[in-house]
Amino acid sequence: MKILITLIVSIFVAIATFAQENNFKEVTDIEKVKVELGKLSENTSTIHSQFIQEKHLSFLTENIISKGEFYFKGPNQLRWEYSEPFEYIIVFNDKNILIEDEDKISTYDTESNKMFSEINNMMIGSIQGNLFTDSERFAVKYFENKTQYLLELEPKLPEMKNMLKTIKIYVDKSNISVAKIVMLESSDDYTSINFTNRELNKQIDNEKFNIKSDILD
Amino acid sequence: MNNDINLSLLNSKFNIRYSILIFLLITSACSNPYKDLTKTEYSVSDIQQIPFTLPFSEKVLIFKTNINFYKNDISGLLIIKKTKDNIYRIVLTTQFGLKIFDFELNHGVLNVNHCIEYLNKKVIINTLQTDFNLLLMQNKTEAIYFIENIDLNQNIWKFTSGKINHYYIQDTESGKIENISSKKRNSEKISIDLYNYKENIPGNIILEHRNIKLKMNLKLIQQ
Repeated sequence: MKILITLIVSIFVAIATFAQENNFKEVTDIEKVKVELGKLSENTSTIHSQFIQEKHLSFLTENIISKGEFYFKGPNQLRWEYSEPFEYIIVFNDKNILIEDEDKISTYDTESNKMFSEINNMMIGSIQGNLFTDSERFAVKYFENKTQYLLELEPKLPEMKNMLKTIKIYVDKSNISVAKIVMLESSDDYTSINFTNRELNKQIDNEKFNIKSDILD
Repeated sequence: MNNDINLSLLNSKFNIRYSILIFLLITSACSNPYKDLTKTEYSVSDIQQIPFTLPFSEKVLIFKTNINFYKNDISGLLIIKKTKDNIYRIVLTTQFGLKIFDFELNHGVLNVNHCIEYLNKKVIINTLQTDFNLLLMQNKTEAIYFIENIDLNQNIWKFTSGKINHYYIQDTESGKIENISSKKRNSEKISIDLYNYKENIPGNIILEHRNIKLKMNLKLIQQ
């Protein structure tokens, strides 16, 4: 009887862990998947979506949730417009970073700020698909299930390794676009960003990638 | 010639006056404003009776944070959680969630779990240890004195530790601790303003160093 219970329990545990990863299996034909993922940059000249960001810290019982709107225009323009827990806009435009925080606008350039430049490269690289072709900086593992590809990127460079253990990128098979990014830290704390209501290749005004003061000077 | 003498006389008079003024300014700035007030010794074990609940809150406190450090601006979310008595987890993350630092403050000692390279310098860590100890009332103390300043509507708890004194100043009208000040030989080193209290937790905290260019601006967004 005891053996039976142990068996049942272990089967349940196995199913639970299996289900957690949503049936992702390692990809056998990597070259084919690479060709598919090559469509990422072709498919997505622009993206407009909502996003939900969850920060998991092991010492907290609840994740910290942020929400907002996301805009991307290839090759290198990004706008993150946070509405919760407070309003905050960050725009990456080529080599410039613009931040609007409580009516104060600050500008930085990515070359002088290493951390910003890494974040910028990572975000654009994930969306455009050139992050996982960068074999110098990342070791990549490919997984898939019925609806998604999952790419697990392990940083190779020490400064990046110091920040992140793994970056997981979930790509929807139906339209080859990024649905979710998970950034796992060495402490196993993570940040996940879910992109919902994605609109692909619709016209986005260049003004979205500029922040101007309302006061004319 | 006569004019010249007059002028130099005037100059020297001016210098003397000026020197006196400077002397007065310096001495008055350095003199102890609470010297003439009666102080009574306050038992260290009564520390929880001080009307400052921030260090004892069991809730997770999340502050929108800007740190100006010389020419650098760091912004993100500061999370403070008391994990046990006198033990705190203090984490700063960027907007995107990446950790800038992850500290444990354990009985006044700041241990680094993680810190971005650029801030992970002994002098910076020590400064942050001083700041969080002051904010969370974790400084080692030899004695506490209670001072009543009726003229200014203030109740003051003075923590002494060698040459350094920490003052927790309550506005008797609001009943809240509205200023914390750290002084070395009566010259202020750190000042913390606390206002906009929400259920006994300050909604705004501004911490400023007097001798180095470091300013922290915290806004409570969740408790």
